[in-house]
Amino acid sequence: MTAPLGLVVATERAPNTPHQFQFWTAIDSPVGIGTIVRVDGRQPVDGHIPQVYGVVTEGFSYTDLASPLFDVLGHDGDPGQSAFAPTERAEVRLYSAAVLRHVPEEPLQPVPMGEVFLATEMDVAIALRMDSYLREDANTGIPIGLYRSGGMDSAIYLDAEFLVGPEAAHLNITGVSGLATKTSAVEWLLASLFAHFPEKKGSVAAVCFNVKGPDLCFLDQPAELDEEDRAMYDALGVPCEPFRDVHYFAPFKADNLSLNTLRSNEELLANVQPLTWGLTEVLQFAEVLLNRDDVDAKADALIDFIKERVLDRDFEDRVLTKPHRVRSFADLEGWFRDLLSGLEDRGDEHWRTHHVATIRKVRNRLSNISTRCAGLVTNDGHTSDLPWGHFADRAVYVVDVALAEEDAQDLIFARIVSKLREHLERRDLGVTHVVVFVDELNKYAPADGPETYVRKMLLDIAERGRYLGLVLFSAQQFRSQVHRRVVGNAGTALYGRMDGDELATPGYAVLSAATRTKLATLSKGQLMVRHPHFTQPIFVSFPRPAMMRGRDGVERYPQAADVPRDVGVLRQLRRFDPSLTLAWVQDVIGFYEDEDVLRALHATLAHAPDNAGAYFKAQFRKIVSASPAPAPARTPLRVLPDDDPYAI
Amino acid sequence: MDGVRSAEGLTEDRAIAADPGALTGAVGTLRSAHAAQRHLLRAIPGVRAATGGESPLERQPRDTELPHVIDAEGAEDATLRARPVTGPPVAAIRAFLDGTQRSEVIGWYGAVPLVYGTAGAVVRERVERRLVTWGRPSISHRIYAPLAYAPRAALEGALGAMVEDTTRPAPDGTIAPPHPTLLLERATLAVSRDRERLELALAEQWCASRGEPIMIDGGIGANEAVARSSCAVGVVKSHRTLYAEGDALSVVLGLARGERSSVIRVAPRGRSEVLSWYLRLRDTAGRDALWGLVRVEMSANVPTEITARADELSRWLLAESAPLAAPDPRWDRMAYGIRSAEEFLRATTG
Repeated sequence: MTAPLGLVVATERAPNTPHQFQFWTAIDSPVGIGTIVRVDGRQPVDGHIPQVYGVVTEGFSYTDLASPLFDVLGHDGDPGQSAFAPTERAEVRLYSAAVLRHVPEEPLQPVPMGEVFLATEMDVAIALRMDSYLREDANTGIPIGLYRSGGMDSAIYLDAEFLVGPEAAHLNITGVSGLATKTSAVEWLLASLFAHFPEKKGSVAAVCFNVKGPDLCFLDQPAELDEEDRAMYDALGVPCEPFRDVHYFAPFKADNLSLNTLRSNEELLANVQPLTWGLTEVLQFAEVLLNRDDVDAKADALIDFIKERVLDRDFEDRVLTKPHRVRSFADLEGWFRDLLSGLEDRGDEHWRTHHVATIRKVRNRLSNISTRCAGLVTNDGHTSDLPWGHFADRAVYVVDVALAEEDAQDLIFARIVSKLREHLERRDLGVTHVVVFVDELNKYAPADGPETYVRKMLLDIAERGRYLGLVLFSAQQFRSQVHRRVVGNAGTALYGRMDGDELATPGYAVLSAATRTKLATLSKGQLMVRHPHFTQPIFVSFPRPAMMRGRDGVERYPQAADVPRDVGVLRQLRRFDPSLTLAWVQDVIGFYEDEDVLRALHATLAHAPDNAGAYFKAQFRKIVSASPAPAPARTPLRVLPDDDPYAI
Repeated sequence: MDGVRSAEGLTEDRAIAADPGALTGAVGTLRSAHAAQRHLLRAIPGVRAATGGESPLERQPRDTELPHVIDAEGAEDATLRARPVTGPPVAAIRAFLDGTQRSEVIGWYGAVPLVYGTAGAVVRERVERRLVTWGRPSISHRIYAPLAYAPRAALEGALGAMVEDTTRPAPDGTIAPPHPTLLLERATLAVSRDRERLELALAEQWCASRGEPIMIDGGIGANEAVARSSCAVGVVKSHRTLYAEGDALSVVLGLARGERSSVIRVAPRGRSEVLSWYLRLRDTAGRDALWGLVRVEMSANVPTEITARADELSRWLLAESAPLAAPDPRWDRMAYGIRSAEEFLRATTG
C-alpha cells in the first residue's frame, strides 16, 4: 500500500465543495501545480468508499508567524543570523485542488476528509475519463504527451472522436512566439494522429499553410533528437521519424520561373510543386481579392455574367468583332478590349444592361489580379494545383505562402479551404478527414476588424467542419484577440508559455493564479491541455518533433539563389529527369521568348511526363524552318550579242 | 449509536484508569465535552446541561496567590550575584516538553458543577532542525465532580474511573465546603495536577529511554525521578514567587541580557530539591524588569561543577531564544520548542 501523500483538510472558512478541496502535505512531498491526486474517503457512501480525483491548482506555504515583524525581531534585524536558529519554524504546505472526477459519480457530495495519494497511471486514466475511450475494443486515444509527477510518466490521450469529430473537433494552440512550441506541438500531434488514428474512422490527411518563415518547410527531413525524446516517442507509441508522405506547393516568384519558397534547394525539389491558377480558378474567388468599396452590385453582376456566360464558353456578340473563348487572363483582356472597342465604335453606353463605366471598372479590377498575385495567377491559364480527388491517407500537403503577397495568401487560403469542403461534401477528396493547420490566427481571424472572406471561411470550418471531416488546427500568439467563435468551437485547446498581458485578460480568469503563473513560465516542450473529457486543464510534456526545424533546415538546405532563365528551367526539369544538362536546355530554349519558355515549362510541370525533356521540347513552336529555303531560280545572264557596238 | 460508542469507550477508560498511567491514552472515549455532556444527561437524572458559551475555566478571573519573594540558599556563591554566561550559545537541547489543559462546566447537579477537563502533554523532538513528536502524546479526558455533594454511585456507575472526586477529604478529614466557586477552583486544580502528572510521566520516560537534554516547561521538582535526572532542564516563565530578597532581588531584576544569577537551592513544599538560577534571555531596554527573565531548574545531583553546568545550560537556553515564539504573548521567555508543543496539543486536543 502506498503511503499517503497528504491529508484533506477543511475549515468553516475554507470548506471543501464537490468541485474543490484542500490538503496538506509534508514539506518535501513531490506535489506541484498540475499534480493529479486521489483522495480516498473514510466513510462509505451507499456501500462504496468514495474516491475523488483532483488536480492541484494552487499552493500555499506559511509558518506560524503572525507577522513578518516577529521574524525581524527574532533575528535582531540581521538576516545573516537565520543560520544560527537551532530550530526551523513550523511550516505548512497547503494545496488547493480542483476536482476531476468523483467515483462513484452520484451522489455528488463535497470532497470527504481522507488520505491523499499521488495518482498512479491508472488513476490518471480514470481521473481524466480516458478509461472511456481507451478500451481495447474501441480505442480512439491519440497521445498528446506525458503527464509527469513523482517520478511517474503517464501517457495522456485525446479522444479522436473529440479531436477530429464528429462529437467535437478542432484544436487551438496559444503561446508566445519564438519558443517554437506552437509549431512543434502541431507537428508532434499530427504525427501522433497519423500513428493512432483509428482505422475504423477512415483516413486522414493534413493541409498545412506555412505562413511564416521556414517553419513547415522540412517536415520530411529528420531532426536530431536526444534519448529523452526518443524515450517519449516509445512511451507514447509514435514512430520517431519525419512524415513519410509530404507534398509541397508554392507559387512562383514574379519571374514565374523560381518557386517562391524557402524550400527551393535543389536537393529538396522532388516533392515541391508550383501552385499556379488560371482565370477559371481565380474568378470563383474574385470577391476575396476585390475591394467591396470598388465592386458594387453592378460590378458584381457583370462578374457573375462573365463567370456564367463567358468563361470557358464560345461567346459571340454583335458588338464583338469575333467569337471569343476566354480561358485565361490574356483571353479575358482580349475580350474586354474587343467589347469596349465595339461599344465605342457604336457609340453605345450600355451593353446587356451593363454600363460601359462598369465594364471598364471590372476590366480594371480583374486585370489587376494577375499583377497583384503574380506568380500564383498565370496569364496563360495554366494550372498547377493540389491533387483534388487524390489525397492520400496520412499525407501532408504543405502550402507555402510565407513569401507570397497578402492578397495571394488570402486567395490561396480561401480557394483551398473551399475546395476541401466541396470535395469532402462529395466524399471524393481521397480521404475522409482533413486537418487544416493555420498559424497566425490573430491575423486571419481577428476578434475585431472588418469581415473578410478568410475569416468567414475559418468560422465556417470551426462551426460546421466537424460534420464533414474538415478539422481546423489553429495557432496564434494571443487567443484573446481571435474571433471567439473560432477558438470557442475548438474542442481541444493547448497552451504553451503565455505572455503575462495575455494571461491578464478575462478569458483566463477561470484559471487559478498559480496556474496562470505556471503558464507564464512553461518551458519548451510543455503544454497545458484542455479537452472535453478533462474537467480541468492538465499539464503535459511532449517530445520535440522528429521533423527538422525550419531554422535548421534553411541552414542545411539554403534557399536557392535567383538564377538565369536557363538555369531556372533546368532546375525545374531535373525533378523529372536528372540527366538533363544546362547545354541541352540552352539549346532548346535558344531564342524563344520568356512567354513561350514559361508556357512550355508549366505544361511540362503540370503533366509530369515520363520523358520530361522531350515533352518540354515539343511545346515550342518552330520559329525557324528546319528545311533549307528553296534556292531562288537563277536567271542566266543574258548573253551579249556579238555585234554589240557598245560592248567593251 | 452514541450510547454504544460511549459504553465501549468507557470500558476502555476503566481499563486505562487501572493502569499507573491512568490518564494516558483515553483518546477515543468521550473525547469531547459535548459527548460527555450528552452521556451525563442520559445517565444521571437531575443533571442540568450547562448552556455553554462560557470561556474555559482557566481563562476566567479568579483570586490567586499574591506575588511574593522568598529567600533561597545559595549553592554557588555565598551572596547571590550576576554572572555573565561566557561562550557562544549552543543548541544542545534535544527535545521540548510541555502540557496544556482545558476545563469547562458541562452540567450542574443542583449548585454543584460537573467539569469536563482535558489535559495533555507532549515531547517535541528536534530532528535536523525540525520539531517532530516523540512517541505518543499523553492526553486525558476526565470529568471532575465533587462527589461529596453529587450522586456518587450514579456518577461512578456512569463514568467509572473517568470521574475524579474533587472533594476528597483532607488529611484532617475535612471536606471542602460546597461553595460553587471553590468547587470550580478545585476542579481546575485537579486538572492542573493531572496535566503535571502527564508532563512529568513523559519526562521520566524520556530521561529513562533517551537521556538527552530535554527542556521542560515549568519546574521539575514535582517528580522525584525527573528532579534527579541530569537530562531535564526546567524553565519557569512565571515569577509570582521570586527566590531572592533584598540585594539579591535587585541583582536578579538587574540582570542584563546573557547574564545569570548565582545558583540557589529551591525546594518548594511537596517537591524535590533542585538547583536553580535566573537567566536573562533578552535585553530589557524599554521593558519591565521581568522581561526575558526565566528561572532555570536542574537536578541537584550535578555531575560536574555547579558553575560550569549552570553556564553550560544557560548557553543552551540562550541558543533557544531564536526563533521567536511569537505570536505567543510570552515570547520573550518562551522557547520556540515549547510553543511548538503547546500548538501541537492545542491542535490535537481542541
